[in-house]
Amino acid sequence: MSDNHIDQKVLGELQEVMEDDYLRLLETFLEDSELRLGELHKAKSADELGHAAHSFKGSCGNMGAVVLAELCRQLEDRVKQQPLYGIEDLINQIDREYDAVRQLYRDECRRVSVG
Amino acid sequence: MAVEIALSQDGQDLTIKVKGRFDFGKHQEFRDAYERQGRTFKSVVVDLKDATYLDSSALGMLLLLRDHAGGDSADVRVLNTSSDVRKILAISNFDKLFNIS
Amino acid sequence: MVDHQPLTVLIAEDGAADRLLLARIVRNQGHAVLTAENGEEAVALFAEKRPQLVLLDALMPVMDGFEAARRIKKLAGETMVPIIFLTSLTEEEGLVRCLEAGGDDFLAKPYSPVILSAKINAMDRLRRLHATMLQQRDEIARHHNHLLNEQRVAKAVFDQVAHAGCLSAPNIRYLQSPYALFNGDLLLAAFTPTGEMHVLLGDFTGHGLPAAVGAMPLAEVFYGMTAKGYGLAETLREMNAKLKRILPVDMFCCALLLNLNFERRMVEVWNGGMPDGYLLSASGGEPLPLVSRHLPLGVLDSAQFDEQTEVWPLAPDDRLFLLSDGVVDTCDEHEQLFGVERLKQALVANRQPERLFEDVLQALERFGGQSRDDVSLLEIRAVAPQVLAPPPVVYSDSGESSPLDWSLSFEFRAQTLKRFNPLPYLMQVLQEIHGLRIQSGALHSVLNELYSNALEHGVLGLDSSLKRDASGFAAYYQERSRRLQGLQEGFIRLHLHVEPQEGGGRLIIEVEDSGKGFDVGRVLARPLVEQRLCGRGLSLIRRLSRHAEWADEGRRARVEFAWEALA
Repeated sequence: MSDNHIDQKVLGELQEVMEDDYLRLLETFLEDSELRLGELHKAKSADELGHAAHSFKGSCGNMGAVVLAELCRQLEDRVKQQPLYGIEDLINQIDREYDAVRQLYRDECRRVSVG
Repeated sequence: MAVEIALSQDGQDLTIKVKGRFDFGKHQEFRDAYERQGRTFKSVVVDLKDATYLDSSALGMLLLLRDHAGGDSADVRVLNTSSDVRKILAISNFDKLFNIS
Repeated sequence: MVDHQPLTVLIAEDGAADRLLLARIVRNQGHAVLTAENGEEAVALFAEKRPQLVLLDALMPVMDGFEAARRIKKLAGETMVPIIFLTSLTEEEGLVRCLEAGGDDFLAKPYSPVILSAKINAMDRLRRLHATMLQQRDEIARHHNHLLNEQRVAKAVFDQVAHAGCLSAPNIRYLQSPYALFNGDLLLAAFTPTGEMHVLLGDFTGHGLPAAVGAMPLAEVFYGMTAKGYGLAETLREMNAKLKRILPVDMFCCALLLNLNFERRMVEVWNGGMPDGYLLSASGGEPLPLVSRHLPLGVLDSAQFDEQTEVWPLAPDDRLFLLSDGVVDTCDEHEQLFGVERLKQALVANRQPERLFEDVLQALERFGGQSRDDVSLLEIRAVAPQVLAPPPVVYSDSGESSPLDWSLSFEFRAQTLKRFNPLPYLMQVLQEIHGLRIQSGALHSVLNELYSNALEHGVLGLDSSLKRDASGFAAYYQERSRRLQGLQEGFIRLHLHVEPQEGGGRLIIEVEDSGKGFDVGRVLARPLVEQRLCGRGLSLIRRLSRHAEWADEGRRARVEFAWEALA
């Protein structure tokens, strides 16, 4: 699997740190990410949107989802500049990127549970 | 060093030079100056050229030195005293115990 | 990888995955972990479990990290609980907020186990250092309290001794720091049995307890000997010998002693190492300095000690002003000393005698010196002897065994006259007669006069007319001292005769000397004013005793005291 969505070196380190709990970490991240995406979509103000983007950026960074983390950073920056039109494009990009990495993390889950 | 020592060539005469305030803070250094030599001297000179002030504990230190150098038979001279220092020595009448100039 | 003591670490982070990861990293480093999902939970957990270190996400729901940090720091009180903020905040403003809320460090996402470990260790070192510091601070505070308490007790004990005297007499005014004892400053005053006043202002070398320890024996000698009627010379010799014996070589006591005789209107002064005191004449004029002429007490051996005093006339309302070196040695910001000249100016400028202290203190203040805590001031005013009422002596015996029929004779010869004062001893013998105790002040005064007449005018052949003015007065006492030192022959004979009488008893004192005698009739015919200054106290003797007469051309005095039977 060749892609630049996820930093494989980070994944390797996470597995080393988490040992038996690696699978649980991956699953927790996916569950958590659903919540974060929900918050992104439900945000009623620039502030709420910025917060959600900031939190999501942090956990993506920790998990090696580098592209997703970068998109969240852009979103966090963008909400600071009114007006907000055109911001939906950025959220859509985050959705698409998340779809991609979700698949990759699920593959990783399968690999770990089989191995 | 606020207390400096010098020995004559034959090692018989000791000069102790005190700089700055001559007070309790110099106690250990002053004592070391003559005790460290591990011997007694024919004469001891205390040079106060660079001493700015002298308090009663300094007078006590001079008494200790005199005692160490032989008490009543000691040859202890106090040199280069400023007028302020001389006043303090005069009030205590230390000129009766020390050769002061 | 545990190279230090395990800690309990509280992690507050709202992202479940981040929390899981962080908890694992910290656990792997050997620490126990508590986790919270928001600030409120974190504060509650902290209050309950008191973890030693906190990792806090800045942005959390319910209560954010900033508020949580403030509350945790408040709960922690003096204990240092390091807080490391977990943040992907990058802008300065956010980081400043973390620090302001009490954060000690940051950890950026993504987390690095190596950096986190290093930070936890660094914070733990800081925490320990802080704990040690608190412990030491508390220990110092404990020691300090202990010391203060010891000082309080020591001072209370000392005050019992020091205030045994007459510092509260109406003609004495003094100003002294309550902790003067621990500055080495000492102030003592007491009446002799004849109503003379002995005063000592002293200053021990150094500060603190070492300076205070010498005060006790000095006070005891002072009070003991003064109460027994010893003069300044004997008291000084004894104090010097005692201090020389008990103090280390580098410790001594500067002292100024006064003996004020209000009856004979004179003051005797000995100054060893104290700043000049002053005699301020009631009639104005230059203050007369009481100069230090001796080494301080406790420096010289008894053989070398010089107890020679100076004597000055003392008119009513003349004042003696004594001070500690704290006054003249007060420094301004340029290390300039207040000095003797400024003090003298203040003394001369003083118009209202009762404001003397205030004037001196004001001059010190104007000078701008740093106030020192060891300033002692003392002022004694010359008054009529009747103004002062020396406290009655308390006797411990019942009087049942009082001896009533005896005689006693002494002959004191030259070598003894030089150094020995027999009066305190004789007074002690006479105190055994209960009926006389009520007159013991008068008895003491009369004995004193008789003895000094016999010694000064008889044996030493001094001419009392020398004492006509102030300079002659001083010269007289210098000459007295010179002749006494050179004395080779001569004697004073003393006879005491006690016998019972109807309803009481009587004491006859006879004092005989080897001198040339004097014209009794002429001296007694002089006006009283003249007699007082340069006479032989003859009128005093006649006033205080029942009967007084002189025989053998004035070489022999005979004085009688009588008493009634005690109820």
